[in-house]
Amino acid sequence: MSDKLSHLTDAQLEEMFASARTSDPVPDADFMARMFADIDSIVPQVEPVVADAPRRSVLASIWAALGGWAGASGLAAAAATGIWIGVASPTSMATVSDAFWGDSMSVSVMVPDDILGLEG
Amino acid sequence: MAFDEYAGAPDSALLVAFANGDSAAARLLVVRLSPRALGQAQRMLNDRAAAEDVVQEAFLRLWKIAPDWRQGEAQVSTWLYRVVANLCTDRLRVRRRNVDFDKIAEPEDSAPSVAQKMQDEARHDALAAALAEMPERQAQAVSLRHLEGLGNPEIAQIMDISVEAVESLTARGKRTLASILASKKAELGFNDE
Repeated sequence: MSDKLSHLTDAQLEEMFASARTSDPVPDADFMARMFADIDSIVPQVEPVVADAPRRSVLASIWAALGGWAGASGLAAAAATGIWIGVASPTSMATVSDAFWGDSMSVSVMVPDDILGLEG
Repeated sequence: MAFDEYAGAPDSALLVAFANGDSAAARLLVVRLSPRALGQAQRMLNDRAAAEDVVQEAFLRLWKIAPDWRQGEAQVSTWLYRVVANLCTDRLRVRRRNVDFDKIAEPEDSAPSVAQKMQDEARHDALAAALAEMPERQAQAVSLRHLEGLGNPEIAQIMDISVEAVESLTARGKRTLASILASKKAELGFNDE
């Protein structure tokens, strides 16, 4: 076992590393040909990554035909409105019609009897 | 080759393209990454033929895992550093049984530049032999830090350990290395005052 004093110093170790710290070599043509041959021999074995096509049940198809959630929300809103109109009291409906038409008025669709203005 | 269409594409995108059967993407990955991988193996092994074998094996492994590669989880270059380091330490382990430290050539007197080159070569040989003697994880940490010049956080990613563990491994590795090379100081051109 060598004693501690005979160990390489940090500076000497750095010189050792420097001797090995060569720049990256340029791969030669033979090496590249081997690497490319490996690729060509492996590519056919690689199965393309294909996403599974989604499968739909009959219910899912109907759901999609209705427009999915967007369609269903419109349908639900219409149904709720219908129910409200159906169960709402006449008073409240009158309130609604008054609000819509304003004050009540009457319009005669019959011809007045005294069309010629002969009566007093 | 359709390299232009991939110009600027990240390495992981090229790997996914290869997984979908595009060999041009794989060729571009080789062009991009093999010089550095070859350099890493050459620096650890100081043997060009062995370094080429290591890099070829590393890329073969890359092609095989390509279909399972998950983008965003790791960088291809980081993965490659790890696999090359592992393959090199495997080779060094085999070499450990066969290397005779005393047969590492001592540089002879020659013209200064030639002598310097020979001394560098002798030191590189001795370093590779010493890496073979060291515990594998220490050898990997030391080579990634001092031969590849990587920072501790990157080494931590490559070795899948904490930064603190990298610091500890590197420090212990340097001490081990200094100890292994202690008896070779004169041959390596280090003369204590």
